[in-house]
Amino acid sequence: MTTRWSTASICVRLTGWYTVVLFLMLVAYATASFVAVRHEFLEQLDDQLHDDFETAEGSLAPMPDGRIAWSRDRHHDPDSDEDRGSDVWSASGEPIYRSGASSALPPVALAAASTQARYESIVANGHRWRTLTGTSLVGGRAVVLRVSRSEDRLRGQLREVLTVLVFGLPLIVVLAGGGGYVLARRALAPIDHLAADARRITAERLHERVSVPNQHDEIGRLAAVINDTFARLESSFEQLRRFTADASHELRTPLSVIRGIGEVGLGEARTPAEYKEAMGSMLEEVDRLTNLVDTLLRLSYGDAGTVRLSREAIDLGQLAHDVVSSLGILAEERGQRLEVEVAVGLSVMGDRLVLREAITNVVDNAIKYSPQASTIDIRVRADGNQAFLTVADEGAGIAPEHRERIFDRFFRLDEARSRDSGGAGLGLAIAKWAVEVNGGHISAEAGATGGSIFRIVLPIGTAPVREHHEHATQRIGGHA
Amino acid sequence: MRLLVVEDERKLAQVLAAALEAEHYKVVVAPTGEDGFFRASSETFDLVVLDLMLPGRSGFEILQALRQRHLQTPVMILTARDGVEDRVLGLDLGADDYLVKPFAIPELLARIRALLRRGRPSEILRLKAADLELDLVTHRAVRGDRLLDLTVREFELLEYLLRHQGHLVSREMLAREVWREPRRATPLDNVIDVQMTRLRKKVDTDPGERLIHTVRGVGFVLREGEP
Repeated sequence: MTTRWSTASICVRLTGWYTVVLFLMLVAYATASFVAVRHEFLEQLDDQLHDDFETAEGSLAPMPDGRIAWSRDRHHDPDSDEDRGSDVWSASGEPIYRSGASSALPPVALAAASTQARYESIVANGHRWRTLTGTSLVGGRAVVLRVSRSEDRLRGQLREVLTVLVFGLPLIVVLAGGGGYVLARRALAPIDHLAADARRITAERLHERVSVPNQHDEIGRLAAVINDTFARLESSFEQLRRFTADASHELRTPLSVIRGIGEVGLGEARTPAEYKEAMGSMLEEVDRLTNLVDTLLRLSYGDAGTVRLSREAIDLGQLAHDVVSSLGILAEERGQRLEVEVAVGLSVMGDRLVLREAITNVVDNAIKYSPQASTIDIRVRADGNQAFLTVADEGAGIAPEHRERIFDRFFRLDEARSRDSGGAGLGLAIAKWAVEVNGGHISAEAGATGGSIFRIVLPIGTAPVREHHEHATQRIGGHA
Repeated sequence: MRLLVVEDERKLAQVLAAALEAEHYKVVVAPTGEDGFFRASSETFDLVVLDLMLPGRSGFEILQALRQRHLQTPVMILTARDGVEDRVLGLDLGADDYLVKPFAIPELLARIRALLRRGRPSEILRLKAADLELDLVTHRAVRGDRLLDLTVREFELLEYLLRHQGHLVSREMLAREVWREPRRATPLDNVIDVQMTRLRKKVDTDPGERLIHTVRGVGFVLREGEP
C-alpha cells in the first residue's frame, strides 16, 4: 500500500490528499451544523412547551364545588392536535384532567414533581415525547400540570437534514476530487512535457535543450535550471572527449616512436654506437611517457579527491622567492630578468608542496613563452582577505578566446613548439588544480602593455599565531 | 655479496639480475612469493629486493615473516602503487627502502649500494676523480692546478656525482638528493640540465680528460676514461 502510494503520480497523490482533507473538513462542518440545528430545534420545542404550559395554567380554574376544571382556551384547542396534550394531576396523584394525546403517556411520577418546572423526554408506544412538568396553584390548591408534545415531527425534520448531509457530502467530495484532479493534471502537464524533452536529450544530442514555455513562472525556472545543467554536462562531455583524444595522442606518440626505433634498429646490423643511440632515444621517450603517466595519474587522483593535502600557514612571498631562486637559472639562460616584489609576512593556508608546484608551473610557463632578454614581473600582495600572486610577462599574450582553455589539460597555444620544450600541456592544468584544491582561483588576462598576466588568488590564512611560529622555527631548523 | 630478487614479472627479474650482476653481485631470482619466502627464510642473503604484488604470498607477508624471525637482512621494496599507506605499511613492517615502478635502474643500484654500505660509516672528507679534487671541509674544488669557482648548488651537484663516481645518476636522483624536491617535474628537469651544462663548462673546460658524461635517456655519469 505504502509503496503503491509513493509510486503514484504527484497528480494522483495531490488529488488524494486534497480529497481526504476536503472530506474531513466537510464531515466536521456537517457534524457541527447538524448538532447546531438539532440544538436549535430542541430549544424551539422547549419554548413551545413553555408557552403551552402557561396557556394550560391560564385555562385551569377552580369550580365552586372545589374541583378544578379546564376551561376551553379560545386561542387553540389542545384536543384538536394529535401531537400534543396536557394533563393535570392532583397533589395526591389522581388525574384531574387529561387532554389530547396525553392519554398515551404514563402517569406523572409525583415524587419527581417539584415546584421547579422540569423538561423531560419520554418514550411511550414507540414514540418520543417531550414534556414539561410543573406544579401550579389553582384556587389555593396545588396541582401538577404536564404539557407534552410529540418529538416525531422534529425527528423527521432532523432526519431529512441528516439525509441531505449524508448523501450530499460524498457527492460534493467526488465532484471536488474530480475537479481537483483535472486542475492538478493541468498544472503538472508542463512538467511531463519537460520530462519528455529532457529524456530526448541523450549523450549524442547534448546540444539540444528543453523548451522554456514561460521563463518567469516556476516551470520556466525549472526548465532554465535543467538547460543550465545540460549546458554544463555538454561542456564536461566535450572536455572529456577532447581529453581522451589528446591523451591517446600524447600516449601513443612516444609509443610509436619507441616501436619505430626498435623495429628500424633491429632491421639490419648496426654499429654499437648506433645501437647506443637508438636505445638512448628509446629511453628518452620512455621518460616522457613516465612523466606523462605520473602527471595524468596525479590529476585523476585530484579529480577523484583522493589526494591527501596538508594544511599549514605558508608565507606566500617566501614561496615565490623559493620558486624564483629555483627557476632563476632558466631565465638567466634566456637572458630574462625575474623581478620579484612581495608583501612581507603575507601568509596563506594550504599545502606547501602543491602550491609551490602551481607557482613553479606558472613561472616556468612565463619563462618558456617570453622572448629572450624580456622581464618577468612577479608580485605578491594582499587585498582585503585575499592574497594575490601575479606573474606578468612580455610574451605574445593569449588570445581572449584561449584564456579559459589555457588551463585545460593538453591545451597548447603552439603545437609545434611545446613538445620540444618538454611539456605535454599539463603544467597549467596542474597549476589550476593545485590552486583550486587550496581554495584559490587562477586566471589569465592580457597585460596592460602586451604579454599576459597570470593571477593566483588565495584566501589569506587565519592560522593561530602560535602555529605559525612553530612552523617558522621548524623551517629555519630545517635549513640549518 | 649475495642478493635475492623476489619478482614474478619474468622480464623485470631478468633485467634486475643483469643489472645487479654487472655490478658484480651474485643474484638469486625467486619468481614466486612461495619461493621467495622459502629462500629468504632458509638461506642467507646480504640484501633482498622484494616486489610487493606477488602471486602466492604477498611481499608484505614475506617481509613480516622475515622480521618475525629476527633476520635483519636489508629489504628494498618495489611497488607499482605509490599510495602513502603502502609505503608506510612497508616501512613499518621493516623494509629499509622502497622504489615505485617504473624506477630507473641507476637509482635502484645507488639505493642498494647505500643499503649495503649502511652500518659502516665512513667519514669522507675528500673526493677525487683523476685530477679533480673536492675538499668537503673547506668547500674547495680543484681541477689540476686550477681552483674551480662553483656556486653552492654546483658544488653539491659535483659532490653527488663524485660520490657516485663510475655509476649512472638519473635526473630523479638529482632532483631528490641535490635539489631536495619530492617530485621530479619538467621545469626541474630543465633546471638540472642547465645546471649540469654550466658545471661541465667549469669542470671540463681544459683540453684534458672529460669527466662528466651525459648518457642519453638515462642521466649523467662522472667517470675517468671513456665509457
